[in-house]
Amino acid sequence: MQRRKFLSLGAIAAAAMVPASLVAEDFRATKPDVWTSHTVDDSIKKLYGSNTFIAEGIKLTAPDVASNGGAIPVDVSSDIPAKSVAIFQDANPESAVAVFTVREGGIVDYSLKIKMRTSGTITVVLEGRDGKLYSATKTLDVALGGCEG
Amino acid sequence: MKIKAKLKGDVTEVKVQAQHEMLPYDAAKKKGIPANFITYMTATVNSKIVFEMSSSQFLSKNPIIKFSFKGAKAGDNISMTWIDLLGNTVTSDAEIR
Repeated sequence: MQRRKFLSLGAIAAAAMVPASLVAEDFRATKPDVWTSHTVDDSIKKLYGSNTFIAEGIKLTAPDVASNGGAIPVDVSSDIPAKSVAIFQDANPESAVAVFTVREGGIVDYSLKIKMRTSGTITVVLEGRDGKLYSATKTLDVALGGCEG
Repeated sequence: MKIKAKLKGDVTEVKVQAQHEMLPYDAAKKKGIPANFITYMTATVNSKIVFEMSSSQFLSKNPIIKFSFKGAKAGDNISMTWIDLLGNTVTSDAEIR
C-alpha cells in the first residue's frame, strides 16, 4: 500500500510538469477584460498590452458589402510564425470576436462567420513568435445588421 | 457537431459546424432569457491540441469554422469540444480522411 501511494503521487507530479506550451489557455478566463471592452484599441491593449503593430503579413478577406450582418464570412491567413491570432470589430457593443491560440508548427488559416450590427471595420491582430504584433484591417458595409438574434 | 477533416499532403483541413444559438446579450434581453454562446472550443488529435479558440457572442448562429494543422495521418481521430457561457459542453469525434 505504501508503495502504491508513492507511485500515485509520482503520477500526479508528472502530470503537473506538462510543458506550458501544451497547456490550453482559455482567454475568457485568463483575460476577462478583453471581452467586455467597448473599443478595438482597448480590447487589443488588454489582450496584448500594446497597440503598436506592423501592418503587413496577414491576409484578411471579407466581402466589401455584406448582405447579411448575421453571418459575414471572414478568412484570415498568414505565413508569420504565430503564437495567437485575434479578431475584433467596431460595429457591435463589445469588440472582441475570437482569439485563436496557435501551436508550435501550427498554421494560421482560419475561416469563420461573424455578426456585425452595422457597417464597420474588422481588425485582425497576430502575435508573432518573434514577440511583435502584426495587424490587418478591412472596412465593409453591412446591409442588414445581424445582432438582433 | 459536424466535423469534416481531410488530409491534403501533410496538412489536415478541418471544417466544423456547431449547433448553437449564439445568443448575444441584447437579443437575450429582448427575449427575456439568459445570453448564451460558445466561449471556448478545442480540437485534439493524438492527445495534442491542434486548435484552440476563445470566442464571444459575435460568431454567427450555428458557427462554421475552418482551420488547418500539420502532423496528423489519415485514420487519426480528431476530437472537438466546445463549452458555452452556461456551462453546457458537447464533444464530437471524427476520423481524418
